[in-house]
Amino acid sequence: MSETARIDAPGQLAGRPLEEWNGAYSKVESYFHALRVLNKVLLGQLVALVLERAMQRSASEPLRSATELAVEEMDRLFNEWFAQVLQAPPSGAEMLSTRGRMALLLADMPGRWQDQFLRPGPWPDEFVLAMRDGYLRAGPNFQLAQMTPRPLDLGPIATLTHWSGLPYVKMTMSWALFGLLLVLIFYVTHQ
Amino acid sequence: MPSVPPNSNPATGPAPSLVMSQLPRVRRGWRVFLFYSSAVLLTGLVSMLFADLLWRTGWSPSGVILLCLFIVLFFLIAMGCMHGVFGFVLRLTNDRRLTNLRDYLSQSIEGVSTALVFPIHNEAVVRVCEGLRATYESLEKTGCLERFDFYILSDSTDPDKWVEEEQRWIELVQSLDALGRIYYRRRVSNEEKKSGNIRDFLSTWGSRYRYFVVFDADSVMRGETLVNLVKLMEAHPQAGLVQTVPALVNAESLFGRIQQFANRLYAPIFITGLNFWAQGFGNYWGHNAIIRTEAFMQNCDLPQLPGRKPFGGQILSHDFVEAALLLKANWEVWMAYDLEGSYEEAPETMVENARRDRRWCQGNMQHFMVIWAKGLRGLSRLHLAQGIFGYLASPLWLFFLLTFNWMLWFEGHTGLSKITVHAFTPFLSVTGTEHAFLIFVICMAVLFLPKVLALVDLAFDPERRRAFGGLANAAGGAVAETAFSALHAPLQMLWHSKFVAATLLATGVQWGPPKRTADGIAWSEAVRQHWAHTLVGLIWGVAIWRLDRLTFWWFVPVMAGMVVSIPLSVLTSRAKLGQEARRSGLFLTPEETTPPLELAALRARMAILEEEGQIAPRPPDSGLADVVLDPYVNAIHVSLLREKRQNPAYARALSDLGVGQPRVQALCEKLLAEGPAELRREEKLLIMSDADQLPWLHRQAWLRPSATLARWWQTQIRQYAR
Repeated sequence: MSETARIDAPGQLAGRPLEEWNGAYSKVESYFHALRVLNKVLLGQLVALVLERAMQRSASEPLRSATELAVEEMDRLFNEWFAQVLQAPPSGAEMLSTRGRMALLLADMPGRWQDQFLRPGPWPDEFVLAMRDGYLRAGPNFQLAQMTPRPLDLGPIATLTHWSGLPYVKMTMSWALFGLLLVLIFYVTHQ
Repeated sequence: MPSVPPNSNPATGPAPSLVMSQLPRVRRGWRVFLFYSSAVLLTGLVSMLFADLLWRTGWSPSGVILLCLFIVLFFLIAMGCMHGVFGFVLRLTNDRRLTNLRDYLSQSIEGVSTALVFPIHNEAVVRVCEGLRATYESLEKTGCLERFDFYILSDSTDPDKWVEEEQRWIELVQSLDALGRIYYRRRVSNEEKKSGNIRDFLSTWGSRYRYFVVFDADSVMRGETLVNLVKLMEAHPQAGLVQTVPALVNAESLFGRIQQFANRLYAPIFITGLNFWAQGFGNYWGHNAIIRTEAFMQNCDLPQLPGRKPFGGQILSHDFVEAALLLKANWEVWMAYDLEGSYEEAPETMVENARRDRRWCQGNMQHFMVIWAKGLRGLSRLHLAQGIFGYLASPLWLFFLLTFNWMLWFEGHTGLSKITVHAFTPFLSVTGTEHAFLIFVICMAVLFLPKVLALVDLAFDPERRRAFGGLANAAGGAVAETAFSALHAPLQMLWHSKFVAATLLATGVQWGPPKRTADGIAWSEAVRQHWAHTLVGLIWGVAIWRLDRLTFWWFVPVMAGMVVSIPLSVLTSRAKLGQEARRSGLFLTPEETTPPLELAALRARMAILEEEGQIAPRPPDSGLADVVLDPYVNAIHVSLLREKRQNPAYARALSDLGVGQPRVQALCEKLLAEGPAELRREEKLLIMSDADQLPWLHRQAWLRPSATLARWWQTQIRQYAR
C-alpha cells in the first residue's frame, strides 16, 4: 500500500474506516469477476491497483464514498489503458469504454490474455492486433433498397363479371355438365 | 417471361440467361384436368350412391343439405386420395420434376451470394443458434461456405429474449470464428410480423444477394442441400422460388413421433401427386425454401387488405400469397420434393399443435379475400382454396354430423319408416343397411388408400424400408397412427370449428403458453383444455344412444376421441411413451434409424447444453440485469444499437420510439432506484433501445453505493462476487 495508507490512525485506511474500503474492494473485485478475470493473483494485483488510486483521492474528496472513488478510478484506469492499446482517437469516455470492453471480449482476454489486461505496454503483437480488430459487425454494409407494395385488385364483383376470364372455365363447365348428367341419371332411375 | 430480369447485380456476378423449361400450357392444363377430374369423377359416383340412400329414406330439406355437405367433404377426401394415387404411380415412373429437368449438379455457383435468414420472434434462443450451427458446420464441409451469409433476424419483443439472443449470437460467432459470416439484427418494431421482418432484411441487405433461403426457428438444412438449391436456381433462371419438403425430426413425445412418422411415410407420395398437377406453379410454405431476391423484392411486398380484421389488414399467412404473386409475375415456383436434407420440428403435444393451428387458421381464412384478386394464376387460387378448406372442412364435418343427427331425431320423432322405396340400388341388390355400409366402406377406402399405397411404395424400396425399421414395423406404425388419428380427428374438428367461428366473428381465442411438466402436458392443463371436448362427447353420445342404439355404434369413433381427450392429450405428450414406442420399433423414421450428421450434431450439442443447465428458463429480468451489469453484454448491446443508428430507417424508428428523450433518463433513474418490477415491458424496451443511456446505466449501477440502489440490483451485483 502507498504512503498515504500507512500513516492512518488505527482502524482506518486513507482516512476512512476499513469497513468502507472493504465494501469498495468487494465492488471492484465483483467487476473484475464480471470481466471474467479469474486468476486470483492477477485479480488481487488489479484490485489493489485500483484501490490505491482511489485512496490517493480519498483525502481530497471526503464527501464521496470509497466505493464511488474506487469504481471511478477503475473506470479511468480502464479508459487510459484502452486508449493506449487501441490507439483510440479522443472520444467520449463511454464510447471508449464500450469499444474497449467489446475488444476485450472479441480478443478473448478472459481466455488467452488475462495477464496482459491493464498491464503497461509493450504488449504482444497478436494481442494488440486482436484488440484493435475487435469491432463488432452485426451486419455487412447496408445496401438500402426500397420495396413497394403492389396494389392487389380484390374486387370480387369485378372478377365475377368477367366469367370468361376465369381460369379453367372450360374444365369447370365440363364438371358442371358431368354433375347435370348425374342428376339426370338419378332422376331417370328414381321415377 | 418473367416481368423482371434475374439479378444482374455486379456484386454477385452475371446472372444466367433465361431459358424457359415450363410445360406448354395445354399439357399443363391436361395434368390439372386429369387430376381434378379424377377427384370429381370419384366424388360424383359416390355422391350418387349417397343421394340414392337419401332417396330411399325420403327426400327432405335436411337431406338436401346433407347431400350438399357430403359432396363438398367427399371431394376434399377424394382430392387427398388422388394425391396419394397419382403420387404412388408417379414414384414408380420417375415423373417430371425440377431436379431431373436439367443437369443442375454441374452448375457453377462461383460468384453467387446467398443469404440464409432465420426470422425469429421470442423463440428458444439456444435451439435457434444450435440449429444454425448445425447448418453452418454442414455447409462448411461442402467447401462453399464463403458463398453464404447467415442472418438471425430478430423480431423479439421480450427484453430478456433480446439480450439472450445477442449473448448466444456472440458465443456462436466466437466458437465458429464466424464474425462477418453470421450476423444478428433486431428490428426496432415488429410491424407486419414475419413478412415485415423479411422485408426489412431485403430493404437493408437484400441487394447484396442473388438468393435468400428462409429458415424457421427450428429448421436445419444440410449444406449439400443448400448448395444444390443454389445450383438449381442457377440452372433454372425462370424459377423464382424452390420449396423443399422439410422432414419432421427430433420429436420425443408420442404425439410428436406419430406426426413425424406420418410425415415421413406419407409425404413422399402426396407431394409427388401435388407436383404432378402443380409443376412450376407450386406453393411456398414460408420456410426451407430458396427465393430469387430480385423477383421477390419486385413482386412480393404485400399490400394491406382493405377492411377490418379478421379479413382486412395485414396478410397473416403471407407465404401462399407471396408464391401467388411470384406466379402472377410469370416466375415459376417449384417443389424440390426429392431433395433430402431439409428438416423442421413439429409440436410435441396436441395442445401445442392446436395452438399453431389457431394461428394458421386465421391466416388461411383471410385468403378468402385474396383468392379473388385479379391477375392471380388459376393454380394459385387452387392452392389458396385448399388452404381455406383445410380449416373450413372441420365446421362442415360438424354441420354434416349434426344435420344427420337432426334427421335421425326427426325420423324418430315423427315415427316415419326408415326405408321407403327401392330405387337405384336394386341394380346392386343391397338392403338399406348394406347400402349405408357400402358408402361407409368406400369413404374409409378413400381415406385409407393413400396410407396403404405409401406402405406398398415402401415395400418396393429396400433402402427406405430399412430406414423405417422394416416393413412390419412401418405397417404396425401405420395402423397405430391410423387409430390415433381416428381419436384425434374429432378433436381437430371441434378445435378448428371454434377457430373458424372465432375468426369469422373477429373474436380472438385467448391462448397462453400451455403448462408443461418435465415430461409433457400437466393433467390440470389437459383438463383445462379438454373439459369441453369431453363434455360434448358425453352429451352427444348419450343423446344418440337414446335416439338410436344402432346409430350410436356408428358414432363411437367420433365420440371416443372426445371422451378420452384428457388422458389422450396427457399420455401422447409423454416423452417416456415416445421412447417406449421407439424401443418397440413403432413410428421409426429414417432420421431416427440413421441420424444424418447435422441432426446428430444438433442433438449431441443440445444434450450437453441441457446437462449444463443452459436450456433451463432464466429468471425474470435476467436479460435486463445482464445488459446493465455485465460489461461484455452491455458492450455488445450498445455496439449493436450504435450500428443500428447508421441505418436511416432504424434511426427514425428509434426516434419514434422515444429514444434520446429526457423521459428515458427518468426511467433509468427509476430503474436503478426501484428495480425492474416497477417498469412496464415497453419502458424496459425503451431503455434498452437507447445506446446513450445504457453505458451510463452500466456505470451508475456499479458506481452508486448499494444503499441508493433497489434491493434487486444489490442481489444481482452480489451474484458476481465469488
